[in-house]
Amino acid sequence: MNSNENAHDPLVEQALVGFDLAAEHHIAHCEPCQTEREKVAEALCRFGAANREYANRPNSFWEQQAESIRAAQQASVRRSRATLALVPSVVVLLLLGFAVLGRAPGVRPVAVAPPLAQTDSDHELLVGVERAMGRRTPLALEPATLMVEESSGNEPLNSTDESKERRSHEN
Amino acid sequence: METALTSAFGAAAQKITAEEFDAIVRRHQRRVHRFLLMLVRDPEEADNLTQECFLRAYQNLSSFRGESSLETWLLRIAANLARDHARNRKASFWKRLLGLDDEAENGAAAHVPSGDASPEQVLLAREDVRAVWDVANQLSQQQRAVFLLRFVEEMELTEIADALGLQVGSVKTHLFRALQTVRGKLRDLR
Repeated sequence: MNSNENAHDPLVEQALVGFDLAAEHHIAHCEPCQTEREKVAEALCRFGAANREYANRPNSFWEQQAESIRAAQQASVRRSRATLALVPSVVVLLLLGFAVLGRAPGVRPVAVAPPLAQTDSDHELLVGVERAMGRRTPLALEPATLMVEESSGNEPLNSTDESKERRSHEN
Repeated sequence: METALTSAFGAAAQKITAEEFDAIVRRHQRRVHRFLLMLVRDPEEADNLTQECFLRAYQNLSSFRGESSLETWLLRIAANLARDHARNRKASFWKRLLGLDDEAENGAAAHVPSGDASPEQVLLAREDVRAVWDVANQLSQQQRAVFLLRFVEEMELTEIADALGLQVGSVKTHLFRALQTVRGKLRDLR
């Protein structure tokens, strides 16, 4: 059996991913795993170094790239400013458009008055409520009150108040 | 490393001048470009996307709240751009057919630092680099991004999680799977 093909495979990966104390503890005491981790780590280290070297560019390249980015950024700023400059013109045009439409014949707003029938019925209801409130006797006891008035020959009990209220509301 | 300029970038993002932005570009362009080159494996596209990345950063300054480092934020924009690029790349079939897709793989293998190594050792080292690239090519876009940020950019797991908008646990899982494949491939080589 190859020393690389051991039963502790996941522990090597876990240790390489990092921060796994159990894996680290095992590898510290297991020689085949230690060798295996070193081999993989070395390959990964070479991979990283080779790629960093490959991506390396001369200073002139970075200067040129920074220059292109600055040009693109300035063009973007100019575009946004041009768009912002257009906004007031568009607003003025819209306002003019609304003003012209507002003056067109047949578009004037008409004042809406409340329906006459509704005002009358409201007024009548109010008069009715005040009249009922002004009575000295409730409506249900009115026949009894009449009988008392008739027998005593007095004037009607509600007559004065009612006539006053009627006058105040019906005016 | 964060400086007064870059930390002020978050707080007063809208007030940044062209000179300050230029300083940020010069400070971070190498890493952003390298990351994009590794992801798209096409030097010309990496140049275009680097420019696009900084332009987007400038246009979205207000969305940078300084919760992560400026570099992490830039790498996140770069990763999103590379993902969109991979989705939209119509010529990928022809590139693969003509072998242009192997540009980074072969390019990196040719840049293995030799030092005092013998020609045979250099050859073996190049094989290793090709093998690891071969595995990286088979990974999903996100797994590759995680793998490259860890082993090329040598970033911490939390930084990688921030840059790619992942949980640290997911970063570990991606790395674990990638490493299993790398180990298998290296075992086959020997």
